[in-house]
Amino acid sequence: MDSLGTKLAALLDWERRKRREETLIAASFAAAALAILLAPLNFYLPVSWLRWLVPVGLLVAVAPWFFYRARWHRADSARTLVRVDKTLRLDERAVTAWELAEHGPPEGAGSLVLWQAEEKLRAVDPRALLPRRWRWPAFALLPLLMLWCALLWLDFDRPNDMRHAGPPTLAQQLREYARELQQKAKDQNLRETLNLGRELEKGAQKNLDAKSSEETLKKESAQTAEKFSAAAKGGAGRDSFSTSASEQSLKDLQAEITAARDLLELPESSKNADLGQRWGERLAALPQLKRQLEGGEQSGQALGQNELKALLDKLEQQVSGELDRRTVIDAQQYLEQMMKQGQGAKGENYARGGAGAEPDPGANGVREKNLSSQPGKEPGRQDQEGRALPELRAGASTQVKGQVGEGDSSALGFRGKPTAEKSTVSPAEINATYRRQAEQELNSERVPDGLKETIRNYFMSLGETNK
Amino acid sequence: MQTAEEIEQRIASAQRTFDQLRGEMGRIIVGHQELIEQVFVALICGGHCLLEGVPGLGKTLMVRSLGEVLSLSFSRVQFTPDLMPADITGTNMLTDDASGRKVFEFQRGPVFAHIVLADEINRATPKTQSALLEAMQEQSVTVSGKMHRLENPFMVLATQNPIEMEGTYPLPEAQIDRFFFKLLLQFPNREELGRIADLTTAAAPAALCEILDAAGILQMRQWVREVPLAQVVKDYAVRLVMSTHPQPKPANGSGGLAQRFVLYGSSPRGLQSLILASKARALLAGRPNVSFEDIRTLILPSLRHRLILNLEADAEGVNAEKILTEIVEQIPEVE
Repeated sequence: MDSLGTKLAALLDWERRKRREETLIAASFAAAALAILLAPLNFYLPVSWLRWLVPVGLLVAVAPWFFYRARWHRADSARTLVRVDKTLRLDERAVTAWELAEHGPPEGAGSLVLWQAEEKLRAVDPRALLPRRWRWPAFALLPLLMLWCALLWLDFDRPNDMRHAGPPTLAQQLREYARELQQKAKDQNLRETLNLGRELEKGAQKNLDAKSSEETLKKESAQTAEKFSAAAKGGAGRDSFSTSASEQSLKDLQAEITAARDLLELPESSKNADLGQRWGERLAALPQLKRQLEGGEQSGQALGQNELKALLDKLEQQVSGELDRRTVIDAQQYLEQMMKQGQGAKGENYARGGAGAEPDPGANGVREKNLSSQPGKEPGRQDQEGRALPELRAGASTQVKGQVGEGDSSALGFRGKPTAEKSTVSPAEINATYRRQAEQELNSERVPDGLKETIRNYFMSLGETNK
Repeated sequence: MQTAEEIEQRIASAQRTFDQLRGEMGRIIVGHQELIEQVFVALICGGHCLLEGVPGLGKTLMVRSLGEVLSLSFSRVQFTPDLMPADITGTNMLTDDASGRKVFEFQRGPVFAHIVLADEINRATPKTQSALLEAMQEQSVTVSGKMHRLENPFMVLATQNPIEMEGTYPLPEAQIDRFFFKLLLQFPNREELGRIADLTTAAAPAALCEILDAAGILQMRQWVREVPLAQVVKDYAVRLVMSTHPQPKPANGSGGLAQRFVLYGSSPRGLQSLILASKARALLAGRPNVSFEDIRTLILPSLRHRLILNLEADAEGVNAEKILTEIVEQIPEVE
């Protein structure tokens, strides 16, 4: 009876193994099919190379359900042995013997059943008797996986504009640039730039949808560039600010105006006596604003709250207008450059610059003189503009949306080595920069209201302790 | 405890006996091989059979020959409308004893035989029918308060004429259900008819040899009950019997005809009959266990008389055979 038990166990084990294999193949097929169906969602994966692991992940997810559904039951054992009986024409001796053997050595006719079953099954090879029969998922799995690999290789799981179709077209570049321009305009409240940016994006999208030629796009861009030029000239005629001020200093001034306005919003500012004193203290921490007011007609100390507000509004309007005008000019130059050269490194560099950043390094890669980046040879002066440290700003405006794939690159060569000299930035300017950044952060909602005054006083005291 | 070899010899002996019986019966009865096997199966299962066939097919000859071959006493009762229960069971008769005194003496009726052929049972009144059916069930008769045991083994073969139903008393379904098998006698084919003519119009054949006796039959009845039945085969038989009942949601897509035409399905007696008969068939075939084929072969004789059909079946000419055949085709051996 032991040999019969061993033989029956071998038969059943072989069937169980075949079922596990079939289940694994079915689960793999389902995972591969799901991977193809869900391929368009690969775009949302955080890392690009993860999409190659999607079938593995899906397999891990669906395999438990497949194996649970295909788990082995007692009826499966009975079915297997019935199949053995039919194949060997045993008239159900094997399955009867299996059931009788489960309850121990039988007596009477049961023992004869076991004996005859043992005789018949002695020379049986389970693999030969119950050969593997591959179902259609086994044959379809490999082609399906190959199809999936091909789809991923050809980037069919990505949106049309992000596929491996070579470098981005001129219209795509223009559209991206227009979006960045709009974002910058929203962040800095540049009305004219925003309108022109929208118009530019509309034109680029129209060109993409209609799949028009580059020549058509260049013609349209030339018209848009004329609008930019007209807007720039119009901005120059309005309340424009001093054109000698750098963009960074204008931004600093804009931030300082916002900080100064906060003082006027505080409840204590209604008392003019305190207001004058506090205004003076605050102004000391805002060098750009102070410089403007001293250069203008009034310094603000003798003015009331409303007058100060009006003064600040006017100043901000002038600053925004100047920034707007300069942004429009930069955008116009970018468009003109693009129309000259079409796709290429220069156009991309303009896009990366986000309109209004450092000017193009030029064809030979030599950076043009920029006061904010060249090492100084003389001690710094407080009235030197453009020496302020770059502001730290978080948020979407500091990020440039990149494009997937290889793009053109450009290299800038620097000659000469820096020499050890005195710092060109004075401590007062550094402190002022810190105060300004602190004011900007305090204006956000991240700092509790009860701590704002404490923080403001701390930064105000920085310059005083150095003195 | 018997060894496997002894069991094997026992099974071989049963198979040999049955082969001899078939051979011996074949000298007298032309055709009806399957019928002979099923009657013998019913006998060694302790059941009774209902034979249905037109007159002249050799029912009486077959039963008498079976009795001779098995060394069993045989009696025939022709049922008529005026037949009384006492004509079957027997009655007390007033006789003279040895001293000349008048005493009542029980005169046994024809039911006191091993094999009783009840010809055209549907002709007698229900009261007379019930007397026989009671004897079938109890294996005894009670006359004047005294119980008289019948012979052992005891078997009733009742016949019905399917073409002359006028003026008859059809057996109620509850009484028909007590029969182990319902067997249909087919009209012989051309070749068989020719042989019948040769056998019956020429010199009488030699007497039949006795193959088995009552003790041997009782022994075989015990052997039948010892044949192992696998759970999966039993489950198959159960599913077949369950499928004869109209269910709200038929399992395995079966029960198409059963759903439409069956009013009431088979009783548990049908399952008992099916399983016991399958064991007997396995034994007579020389196998130590029951197979699916045994169940499929014996489902018709076991269940054809246990299905109560509705009027729609009668109108559309659907009988129990069609329904059972469909059930066998649809129900898988292993669920």
